[in-house]
Amino acid sequence: MEIRLVGLTKEFPGDPKRNIPDTVAVDKLSITIKDGELLGLLGPSGCGKSTTLYMLAGLSEPTGGEIWFDDEDVTHLAPEKRGIGLVFQNYALYPHMTVYKNIAFPLTNLKVEENEKSFACIEYKTIIDILKDPLKVKNIILGSAVEEKGNKFLSFIKSKMSKKGGYIHRNHADDENYEADKDEQNTSVENELIVKKAYAVNDLCEEYKISKYVAEKLFKLNFQSMTEEEVTANTEIIVNEYTDKLEDEIEKIEAKGNDVNDKYEIVRNGIVNKINRRMTKDEIDACVREAARLVQIQDYLDRKPSELSGGQQQRVAIARALVKKPRVLLLDEPLSNLDARLRIQTREEIRRIQQRTKITTVFVTHDQEEAMSICDDIVLMEHGKQKQMNHPQDVYRDPDCLFVAKFLGNPPINVFEGTVQNNAIFIGKDKVFTSKKTLKDGPIYVGIRPEGFLLDKEAPEEEKTLTLNCSEVVTMGRDLSLICSSPYLVGERIKIIIDSDIDAKIGDIKFAVRPTKIYAFDHNTQERIYL
Amino acid sequence: MNRVPRITTELNLIIPGKQKDVRTTEQVDKVFHIIALVICYALIIFAACIVIFPFLYMILGSFMQEDELIAGAFIPSQGNLWENIAYNYTETLSRFNYFKYVGNTLVVGLSTTCLCLIITIVSAYAFARLKFRGRDTLFTIFLGTMMIPGEMMVISNYTTMSNLGLIGNNQQDWQAFVVMILPFIASVFYIYLLRQNFKQIPNELYLAAKVDGKSDWDYLWKVMVPLAKPTLITIFILSLIGSWNAYVWPKLVVNDSNNWLISVAIRGEALALEDPNGVMITQYSWQMCATVLTVVPLLLLFIIFRKYIMSGTGRAGIKG
Amino acid sequence: MEEKNNWKAWLYLAPVLILMAIFTFFPLINTFVISFMKDYNATTGANSGFTFDNYGVVLGLTERIQGSGVLDTTFVAWGKPSALTNTLLITFVTVPISVVLALFISILLNNIKFMKSFFQTIFFMPYVTNIIAVGMVFAIIFSGSGVFNKIFGLTTSWVSPGSSWGNSMFVLCLYIIWTALPYKILIFSSGLQGIDKQYYQAAKIDGSSKVKTAFKITIPLLSPQILYITITSFIGAFKEYNAVIGLFNRNYTSNGNVPDLYTVVFYIYDKISAGASRMQYAAAAAVILFVIIMLFTIVQMQVSKKKVHY
Repeated sequence: MEIRLVGLTKEFPGDPKRNIPDTVAVDKLSITIKDGELLGLLGPSGCGKSTTLYMLAGLSEPTGGEIWFDDEDVTHLAPEKRGIGLVFQNYALYPHMTVYKNIAFPLTNLKVEENEKSFACIEYKTIIDILKDPLKVKNIILGSAVEEKGNKFLSFIKSKMSKKGGYIHRNHADDENYEADKDEQNTSVENELIVKKAYAVNDLCEEYKISKYVAEKLFKLNFQSMTEEEVTANTEIIVNEYTDKLEDEIEKIEAKGNDVNDKYEIVRNGIVNKINRRMTKDEIDACVREAARLVQIQDYLDRKPSELSGGQQQRVAIARALVKKPRVLLLDEPLSNLDARLRIQTREEIRRIQQRTKITTVFVTHDQEEAMSICDDIVLMEHGKQKQMNHPQDVYRDPDCLFVAKFLGNPPINVFEGTVQNNAIFIGKDKVFTSKKTLKDGPIYVGIRPEGFLLDKEAPEEEKTLTLNCSEVVTMGRDLSLICSSPYLVGERIKIIIDSDIDAKIGDIKFAVRPTKIYAFDHNTQERIYL
Repeated sequence: MNRVPRITTELNLIIPGKQKDVRTTEQVDKVFHIIALVICYALIIFAACIVIFPFLYMILGSFMQEDELIAGAFIPSQGNLWENIAYNYTETLSRFNYFKYVGNTLVVGLSTTCLCLIITIVSAYAFARLKFRGRDTLFTIFLGTMMIPGEMMVISNYTTMSNLGLIGNNQQDWQAFVVMILPFIASVFYIYLLRQNFKQIPNELYLAAKVDGKSDWDYLWKVMVPLAKPTLITIFILSLIGSWNAYVWPKLVVNDSNNWLISVAIRGEALALEDPNGVMITQYSWQMCATVLTVVPLLLLFIIFRKYIMSGTGRAGIKG
Repeated sequence: MEEKNNWKAWLYLAPVLILMAIFTFFPLINTFVISFMKDYNATTGANSGFTFDNYGVVLGLTERIQGSGVLDTTFVAWGKPSALTNTLLITFVTVPISVVLALFISILLNNIKFMKSFFQTIFFMPYVTNIIAVGMVFAIIFSGSGVFNKIFGLTTSWVSPGSSWGNSMFVLCLYIIWTALPYKILIFSSGLQGIDKQYYQAAKIDGSSKVKTAFKITIPLLSPQILYITITSFIGAFKEYNAVIGLFNRNYTSNGNVPDLYTVVFYIYDKISAGASRMQYAAAAAVILFVIIMLFTIVQMQVSKKKVHY
């Protein structure tokens, strides 16, 4: 879904009594975000990126401009009606609900528009089909057993509870494949295999892609404590039961003058009924599990947020935003609360999820590395204005202004005071670049990327026109980092990255400058001068 | 195998109410928002009126003539309003020794409060800053005593005081006051409040003072007390209000009605008028005056010191 | 350093410890002991031995001694209005109503901005006033020809001598709720302020209506405060005394003969003022009060473990 911001503005009125001036947080921002694209809003603190995001979400009223979702003007529409998902910087997970309930919560407020179905029929048919292979059911349940320290008394009680579908205690002796050591047999009470309902239900859900309520029904059939013959015998009875129930349901439907087609949709006169209804528990369950699988959190559905790590909490927040299949996904500095290692992992995941769901995504960050690595497009903002918008690599290669050049790139670009004379750029007396275009004479800012310096054998002698004094050589494994200084430097020190095979020593070094890595900026406006 | 219809997640989810176009939805939202706000205010105003009604009635009642009041009027007759008010209040004051009782109450109140403050400051400091064995256990025990109903202590305290000879038929005035003040100087609640405040003062100040060679005592009075002023003001006011409203204990231990506190006094004598038959008929409008005189000073105190009172009482709830 | 602090700290605490010992710890034990004494004489401290009789009398198991207490009050008499039954009624009626009302009003207040602190002040006013003094105002409002009757066009006799027990209890409960609201509203309001606004924003984006948000998000997040208030309200309601004095003045009987409008604490004070020879009953009643309160609190804390989220 395409998003268009047209002249979007947010002004905060000041307080003349307390000498607070009017602030313009977002200044006539106009961006078009393509459908299915991952866009990064990048900028330093206070540049208006979070404000923009909140206006997109509808939590903040713009003072001017418009927001369009496809061809709908949603500028003043309430947030819940926009169809967005928002991941807060602090996740804002409801602390009193389990992960399952947190993710399910948005779904409880939505309705489904669809062909009217008979859910009872669908459920019965599903169970009948699953029971075509009842032993598989039994094996899945038993396969989910966990080893736990056993206690004769407790396991006795628990096995009695199994009648209600609770714990099932199972000896290793039942398992034909299990080979016990002599020692272990004596201590067979120490570690037992215990089938727990929650795990069994989870496994059943995963295997058959059914909802947890149907899985619980299967568990209650108690195949896990029966022998194979019993299972087969019981299955016949149960299947007959359900077949009867299915026929009864169909009769009831036909009694109302409707028909049922083979998808168990209710049909009247050949046309399928369409209704708006709340989601059933089963559907909510299925959607929740799907979202949980997407973010790899399906094993933690019963925990509370306070029992999860930061990275896990964030995944839950993402799942909650995505579960209602929004048209737009908004993320507010999602990685800023994570530690460094987790950040890289998580941003890859965000990319992966976005690619899979193809939802238009906007995310706000101040970390340029993050934005560059995963976004399709980035928008750089400063003081509420858009400075440049393009693919990351293009913005890196072709900055429109000094701000953009300085913001992207790690280590940051080195800025010098330079001059233009006779269509050539000079740093001090060193001519570093000759331009084919006609340039105005005068002072300029010269920016050279850290990787734009050539020395030693990398360039012929006559091209090495720039002399810098190197004070430190830092080994960083793959590269060498040279710390240099120059009287024309704007800033503290020059950082140069070169290949580690090159021999570099402290002292004055002559460099050549790669023509693609040197940029010129107007001294007053700081706009890029194209060479 | 047949295609079995399973629970599908390919659902067409829609937002309820979104069928209409965007403009209409916006306007409907705005209207709902305003209606909700109006209902909110209406309910709040209704509740507030009920809450404030007795106060209004009390003041208005004290302005009324007696027969009006008995008849259930709400607004005093405008006729001779100012003369009425003057009459009511002068009669009340002449029969109800207001200023004496206020004096008693202030004496007890201020003494209790000042002594309480000193003890609270010193104790809270010990619990908050000084390290000693058994500190936390002792504090937990103290907190536990807050749960015990005061009635359990009254009996024994009465006996103790009695044994000290402070209660009895020949109770001297000063004895009466001592009995009323002494049991209430130590209050775990105020110690708890102040301790919380002390704990919030950064420890670095303490260490810096130590390095400067200041003793604990100096640090307490010169640094912590000024920093904890808001809480101290809260304690002062709450304690004063407590003394003003005290009824049970003063009534129990004081014999001479001259030494009564104001709450006791208001229930003590009926302000009555002798009617032609020699029967004393209680004059409710005068009772209202007495009530006004009792309650209004507190209300004024509350309005002025609202912030302190509300923040202090509120903080107690965080203990949980 | 630690050692030095040790004796200094005890020095600081000396005053409060002495006072607490005399006026809190000693009385606790003493009251407990007195409750088991036979023929205890408060002024002399004499007694004739250990007995359970006091509890018997109080609980109505043993024969009551006539004329005990200034007003001949009974602690518990099943089926008839008595201290315990009245108190239980008051507690179980006023606490739920006032908690729900306070919650409702606090949530409403949380939603408005204009004049919010003005209303908060008004709602808090009953807290600083004298319950006894205002009780009389209530009595006048509810008198036979008083304002309340005028507004509703009734002629019921609510609290005057001779009114029915039911009517009087109704007014008493109303009064207690009125005095109990401010503190609760204050605690709930400050609790509501502590809830991070982001939860409301998240709920909004999740499509939750205002009402749904209130029930599913706000109230669960407020559960620590709700628990605290419920426990303290129960304890407070059980110890209700001032409201009775304030409302009924010297008239604690509905039918003019036997007093029947009093609470447990009232019973205790009544026995104390009965003179030196009735103190043991007061002591026994006080111990029973303490035990009941403890039980209630423990039960409530157990229930809270499941429902309260921190």
